Amino acid sequence: MALLSLSEIGKRFGATVALAGASFTLEAGEVHALVGANGAGKSTLSRVVSGHIQPDSGTISLDGRLVRFAGAREAIRAGIAMVTQETSLAPDLSVLENIMLPRLGMPGRLDWRAMRRDAERLIARLGAEAGVAVGARVRDLAIGQRQIVEILKALALNSRLIIFDEPTAPLSPHETKLLFGIIRTLAAGGHGLVFVSHRLEEIFALSNRVTVLREGRVVAGAVPTRELTQGELIRLMVGRELTDIYARAGKTARPPHGAPVLSVRHLFAPPRVRDVSFTVHAGEILGLAGLVGAGRSETLETIFGLRPARGGRIELDGKPFPAASPRQAIRAGLGLIPEDRRTQGTVPDFSVRENLLLAHLGAHHGFGLAYRRRDSAVRRLLALLGLPEQRLLDANLLTFSGGMQQKVILARWLVLSPRLLLLDEPTRGVDIATRSSIYALLRHVAAEGVASVVVSSDFEEVIGLADRIVVLSDGVDVTSIPSDMIDIEKLGMFAAPRSSAERTHTILERLAERYGGRAFWISIEGGRVFCFDRVGTAPAADPGFAGGSFPEIAGTRIPEALARRAAGFVTEAGSGLTTLLIPIPSESGHDFGLIGLTLAQPPTHLDAEALAKSVTHELEPEAEREAA
Amino acid sequence: MSETAGASGPAAVRRGLGSRLLHLLATQLELRMLLVIIVVMAVLSLISPYFLTPKNLLNVMDQSVIAGMVALGQTLVILIGGIDLSVGSLIGVSAVALGLVFPKFGVPLGVVACLATGTALGLVNGVIISAGKVAPFVVTLGMMSVGRSMAYVLSGASSIGNIPDSLGNLTEDSLFGIPIDFMCLIVAYAIAWYFLTFAKGGRTLYAIGSNVEAARIAGLSINLWSIAAYVIAGLMSAVAAVFLTSKVLSIDPIGGAGAELNSIAAVVIGGASLFGGRGSIIGTLGGVFIMVFISNGLNLLNVSPYWQGTAIGSIIIAAVLIERLLSGGRSGA
Repeated sequence: MALLSLSEIGKRFGATVALAGASFTLEAGEVHALVGANGAGKSTLSRVVSGHIQPDSGTISLDGRLVRFAGAREAIRAGIAMVTQETSLAPDLSVLENIMLPRLGMPGRLDWRAMRRDAERLIARLGAEAGVAVGARVRDLAIGQRQIVEILKALALNSRLIIFDEPTAPLSPHETKLLFGIIRTLAAGGHGLVFVSHRLEEIFALSNRVTVLREGRVVAGAVPTRELTQGELIRLMVGRELTDIYARAGKTARPPHGAPVLSVRHLFAPPRVRDVSFTVHAGEILGLAGLVGAGRSETLETIFGLRPARGGRIELDGKPFPAASPRQAIRAGLGLIPEDRRTQGTVPDFSVRENLLLAHLGAHHGFGLAYRRRDSAVRRLLALLGLPEQRLLDANLLTFSGGMQQKVILARWLVLSPRLLLLDEPTRGVDIATRSSIYALLRHVAAEGVASVVVSSDFEEVIGLADRIVVLSDGVDVTSIPSDMIDIEKLGMFAAPRSSAERTHTILERLAERYGGRAFWISIEGGRVFCFDRVGTAPAADPGFAGGSFPEIAGTRIPEALARRAAGFVTEAGSGLTTLLIPIPSESGHDFGLIGLTLAQPPTHLDAEALAKSVTHELEPEAEREAA
Repeated sequence: MSETAGASGPAAVRRGLGSRLLHLLATQLELRMLLVIIVVMAVLSLISPYFLTPKNLLNVMDQSVIAGMVALGQTLVILIGGIDLSVGSLIGVSAVALGLVFPKFGVPLGVVACLATGTALGLVNGVIISAGKVAPFVVTLGMMSVGRSMAYVLSGASSIGNIPDSLGNLTEDSLFGIPIDFMCLIVAYAIAWYFLTFAKGGRTLYAIGSNVEAARIAGLSINLWSIAAYVIAGLMSAVAAVFLTSKVLSIDPIGGAGAELNSIAAVVIGGASLFGGRGSIIGTLGGVFIMVFISNGLNLLNVSPYWQGTAIGSIIIAAVLIERLLSGGRSGA
């Protein structure tokens, strides 16, 4: 018997039909992905399950019994929890109070000690690296951490059925992996899990079955995930196949870039931005990759004059450009598409037209509005964005889908013909069809000579969209690399925050110190070596690359060792440099790279095998657990 | 809506017209206000034959001037999501400034001193709220106390009389049968309407109240216009002080007491959200008229003044409740 079964659910909001007879079943112990483009009805359907919305028609049964939830609280009592897209936490309460908040709505006395114990147990389940202290105020947490608290809140209810509505959007790949582990554990323990996501790779990695919605109808119900391919899933969602959503003309046929537009040197804006340097050229799309908390958004905000810089230089066209306010930045030709559309982007009480012309108003000198002056530009943009002109007069932008809202906010800047666009997570919460048209639009403006800096947590997106990628880790730029030379795994290794790469770093330091050479963490692919970290000072043992560099193997000082990747020490014919490479163990078969040690001379009393074994042991996840 | 309009036949057309009217009423706050005012006037004129007499209407216009001037400033402040509790005290202290200056320097300089006092104290409000990032409720609550206290200190806690005719005439004279002060009110509202609809500053006020972060990122001058709202509220309090003095021909340090609550009530009845971003100056004017009519009506009906507070308070709550239901729960006031 199904844990949950929805039958022929219908729901209207005014004139819009959100659900037209949608059915859905969830078995205990499965992860069921709910997929669809924006506006397909997946959010409405999950809110029907969670009791937030009452359907107009259709039936819901839980454990085979018909139920009807008058509100979210009843659903919670029935064991249904929801982790929502936008966090619904109380910012002034502690993490503990937030996690246990639903208990406040239940009858009976509160046992604070038990609550604390339970909360800590839950956090331990998420992993020590989730790093949330139960006593911390939610206001002080980063957005990624808030999301974790949101997940803890659902777990705290011991719910049998948890709906995850895009929980991973703000999470780092590492946190995502943690969460996936937890979701799998919950499924194995007999929970039923609904997983709503836009990210196809997550759906394939996590779910057992998929239900696809389009325009309020189920177009594919409870299909086993392994019977689908990405292409088929996309076709089901949007009704057509998007083969290359990044609208790339071909990686080799990239147009040459113009002069440098923005140059950032040693930017220092504590606490997040510690030492960031990069340059972006006219017509170039620069990706700013990294994890949540790496200082990407803060870098953009500092350039745009929203945060003060405490050190470093920002140059626009080679001239010093310290923007003291967004107004100055805008008048110099910059535009910022902020991370959070709802709190930083849309003006809910303004019509679509006024929302579109908001930055024009900011840039405009004079008493009046001068909206008319932009009429032709607005018309041209609407055509470019595929927005019907009469929708301009709509009184409320919030009735638009997330993707449409984002297009309007993009248009808000494009109407000013900017020279440099700063985009912070431009496709968050945007369906795949709209994403593809946003990418095409960004390419189009780049071709017209506009420089763009795109921040994205979606590594696939950064690699697909950007021409070049600058990786930030803990507020420092660690590398700048053409996007066609890197893949998701190596990007993840560059982006690893110092805190989680610390163990590797400690091992490298010990190796370098004990054996008097240089130790490094690298990955080798396509005739290149990607160096994520390097320690040691012995000049004679220089392998020919440094942290953040990615030279061709032939260009290093240890080409033979890198090419052979043999189990023992390899001595270079000319220089006598001797190198040992030890692969980092991985359960899942992912490439985590190699640990290397280069010595100036071949060692006399050193057992390569024993050394490799001890390093491997130190690197093993078991060792981590024991140490903790 | 479009479905019925698209249908054929005379019945469908009539229904289309009716539903269009309903739609207009549901979406146009100003129309609803007008409808309510007409209903209130009709009811009052049925109950009291005296209500529609020119004398009473002139009296009503008179009363609406002072309330209306204050409510205008309050509207701008509430639009940015703020609140100004000091407007009543600012009326008191700027009236006292007028009373101290005119005996020595004449009425024109007295009026200048009055307006300067209100503006300056409004500026203090605005700067502390905007630059000091202190909650408007706290700052203007403090200013409410300071202003009233200054009014007592400066006046020596006694009223100032002997107001010259040139000042008194302001509320006596009329043009084409319409009192000059009422014309001033209408002109002030017309300017405010134009400003809020067609000027960058006006739209900035709405944007600040609706989503200040989005407005900041779009390069709008947040601090400048936030301060300006409080400055205008102070100035309008001083304008009200001039008309009040002209009307009662005496300056009392307690003058303007209660104006803060009445002005907030008028703005809220006028459909504005106390969270900012939503509201209209025409709505506020409607709110002012509704408040004044009802108070006038209750007087005509010889309702005890002690009961009038209950009546007006209930009407405020009812008005906002109805507004909330009509706008589908969107209005959060």
